[in-house]
Amino acid sequence: MKTLKQYLRALLDAKKLLAYTFLLCFFLWVSMPFVMIALKSIGKNWFGKLWLPPDLTADWYKWAIVVTNIPEVLKNSLVIAALAVTIATLIAIPTGWALGRRKIPGKEAITAIILLPRMIPPIAYALGVAQIFYRLHLIDTHIGVAIAHVAICAPYAILVLSSTFEALDDRVLEAASVCGANNMRTFFHVTLPLVMPGILSSLIFTFTTSYNEFTLTLMTYGPKTMTLPVRTYLAIGEGYWEVTSALSMLLIVPSLFVLFMIQRQVQPEKLVGGFKGV
Amino acid sequence: MASFLKSRRYALTSLLMLSPGLAGFFGLFFYPVLVTIVRSLRPEGEASGWTLQNYVDFLGQSSAREVIVLTFVLAISCTVLSILLSVPLTLLLRRKLRGHRLFRLTILIPITVPGLVGALGLLLFYGSRGWPNLFLTQTLKVIDQPLQINYTLVGVIIFYVWHYFSYTAVTTLSTLEGLDPAYEEAARVSGASPWQVLRHVVIPLIMPGVLAGSVLTFMAAFGAFSIPLITGGNYRPLAVQIYKQISIFTPARWGAASAMAMVMAALQLVFLTFYMRVMRRREA
Amino acid sequence: MSDWMIELVDITKRYGDLVANDHVTLRILRGELMTLLGPSGCGKTTALRCITGQNIPDDGRVLIDGKDVTDVPTHRRDLGMVFQNFALFPHMTVSENVEFPLMIRRMNKDERAGMVMEALKLIHLEGYAKHYPRQLSGGQQQRVGLARALVYRPKVLLLDEPLSNLDAKLREEMRFEIRDLQKRLGITAVYVTHDQEEALALSDRVAVMNKGCVQQVGTPAEIYGQPATKFVADFIGLSDFIPAKVAAFEDNSVVLAVNSERIRVPAVNGLQVGFDVLLFIRPNDVQIRPAQAQEDNTLTGAIDKSTYLGDKFDYRVDVHGIEVRVQTHGAERFEIGEQVSLHFPYQRCSVILDTEVCPVR
Repeated sequence: MKTLKQYLRALLDAKKLLAYTFLLCFFLWVSMPFVMIALKSIGKNWFGKLWLPPDLTADWYKWAIVVTNIPEVLKNSLVIAALAVTIATLIAIPTGWALGRRKIPGKEAITAIILLPRMIPPIAYALGVAQIFYRLHLIDTHIGVAIAHVAICAPYAILVLSSTFEALDDRVLEAASVCGANNMRTFFHVTLPLVMPGILSSLIFTFTTSYNEFTLTLMTYGPKTMTLPVRTYLAIGEGYWEVTSALSMLLIVPSLFVLFMIQRQVQPEKLVGGFKGV
Repeated sequence: MASFLKSRRYALTSLLMLSPGLAGFFGLFFYPVLVTIVRSLRPEGEASGWTLQNYVDFLGQSSAREVIVLTFVLAISCTVLSILLSVPLTLLLRRKLRGHRLFRLTILIPITVPGLVGALGLLLFYGSRGWPNLFLTQTLKVIDQPLQINYTLVGVIIFYVWHYFSYTAVTTLSTLEGLDPAYEEAARVSGASPWQVLRHVVIPLIMPGVLAGSVLTFMAAFGAFSIPLITGGNYRPLAVQIYKQISIFTPARWGAASAMAMVMAALQLVFLTFYMRVMRRREA
Repeated sequence: MSDWMIELVDITKRYGDLVANDHVTLRILRGELMTLLGPSGCGKTTALRCITGQNIPDDGRVLIDGKDVTDVPTHRRDLGMVFQNFALFPHMTVSENVEFPLMIRRMNKDERAGMVMEALKLIHLEGYAKHYPRQLSGGQQQRVGLARALVYRPKVLLLDEPLSNLDAKLREEMRFEIRDLQKRLGITAVYVTHDQEEALALSDRVAVMNKGCVQQVGTPAEIYGQPATKFVADFIGLSDFIPAKVAAFEDNSVVLAVNSERIRVPAVNGLQVGFDVLLFIRPNDVQIRPAQAQEDNTLTGAIDKSTYLGDKFDYRVDVHGIEVRVQTHGAERFEIGEQVSLHFPYQRCSVILDTEVCPVR
């Protein structure tokens, strides 16, 4: 009797062990590429068949700053991202409000349409965007690249904001005006604090999307608007992967940081799809 | 009369509020697509006149068919493997073992960083001096020469899966967690072993969700650009070919690129509608 | 072969700090329908899940048909279960749902078809074999659930609040169907509910539970007429609890002192003179008389509140500061402030200890 219990318990533990092993392997499989990049960016004399670099150095970073002109590139990335965020948010607020709170026929269809640029790989419409920009002389301008980014930033901003605004309970606003607040005060004291978390996550998400954007940037950039992703791409082509790794860390670290921050507030799972119930 | 005007005003205000979003959509998506369509129908390098030559040129070559087949092969293998990875993964995550939150977060990592950074990391990791090869040659000593993974078809597929499985995994997980536990209880009480419960109840019931998520994976994989651009080697799927038309050739072959882009978009649409029809039939 | 089909022996189950089942012992006879009755959170569903194997108790044993099944996984316990939300497999037709347990047991196709047809006839849904659950009404779905649970003639049928999701009228109909089916098939059944009416109407015996422990096990008549604890008395129907002191013992009776008046009630074990107890009676067993009436077993008081409820009157009578609730169909009407005499018929009274402590079984 007791041995049967022990046996069963052992089997159960074995299953758990297998489960943990599988999950651990999965985690390693996903994260190892980043570990490699990190090591490559600080490793010295790492040739041959060595598991770990024998020496550590900050040289690659210094090299990267000089050779790839990180300050300039970073400045471009940040400026463009800031512009993209501003434009995207300005678009998303009224659109999100309308979709979230007003009666609109065919709301689902409109939402699906707005999400289309996010679902269809950018190369399909990037060509067109590039050609239009050539004609409008928007190539190699910060504002031009930013506008291109809006194509993929705005849809998510709209989605997040529309659900934020939708969640705003009418009755809370009513209660505020019953308590004596006029429209202005209701807005500042009630509405704004309630929607702030949603707006913040929309801002953060839009910013990282633009910061990481490659394909559209590739089609619309020029020497004056070299962003971090594009410079990294060129660096990969140049072949000095230690320098490239250093550059890549500038993309990896903020993204992962934001991921960890966001996962507490918003359910990132909701931000992946947009494909509601086929 | 007043209510009619009121409803007109309401509708107008709604339209006004929607207009930035719709304008953005039209200006940055719809219009560019139109431009591309027009461009694809113009003779190469010219600003007027209509022709189908670009399409003929592209589709006529056998290499074009190869490209399309390659793109499909990559996308489909990636999707299938993503499903095969996601289902056991999410089944394990469901049990909420210790640290499951970390693993859930891990699912999202590949799509948080730009594709080319992941591509670099993958090339480093799977290269001849990367850890898997070191493990095989030094630790296990099962082979003498390091395996060539980078730039092989299998390697590219692995890289695709690494990048795009997230969409499938996330949808599968949320479908799985939305599944009423009563179904599994009922099956178990009816005499089904855990494996039978999986096979007859859980998997059939989550399939629609899994497939919905895999559509996203397929779409992303079909239009994959930065990954194959950097790690594809000699394998150049559609998106990369399109880019080559305007980056390698001088003068840039916008007509050819546009035609290829339209072919790609058309293929994606065809597959998408076929797929959605299959899904609808399953539901009914 | 023992009489008991199911035995839960000293089952304890904890969820963190919460003790869902606290030394629960229940024995269920072959062929009987036992109801586990209690409020939400009392542990009845936990106990049921110990029988099915969904819950593994921290302590204690579970026996089914004489065999210790505590370590036997759910799918090998040979049970049938009906769920509150039906839990019909949405991707299978009605007949596939009913066929499922047979398919699992690898019965051959023809045999299966036959048994499925029989089961569908049992629940009068033969024509719906090819329908999907979503095309059926709530009542029909529950019947399919029954068919699926019974198709392979399990030893035990478990029902977890099966009627809670149905509307009131349907509930009454289904009650009869379930009881009827259970009796016809002679199957042992365990029924979980929070609805006392259901429990009293359906069961051979009822186990009343609260906060993880069994308060009383008895027939519906015993539960209603001789509640063992304050909780049971209060949970089933309306109750009057009048604080009293044990004054004396006489033959088979106990004399209780309520202030200066004396009430004789049937004797109960474990009492001693001087104990503080509760005199228990149902409000519609108390008889109101005009104040002058001379009778044994009466308390005097004044009408405090009076409510007309259509088919009866509900009075609150102030008896020396204690409020006694009385319901009468009587033709006589009593006015507020009127002095009355409340007669407590001997047979309808009971003594209960005023305690929350769970009776250890």
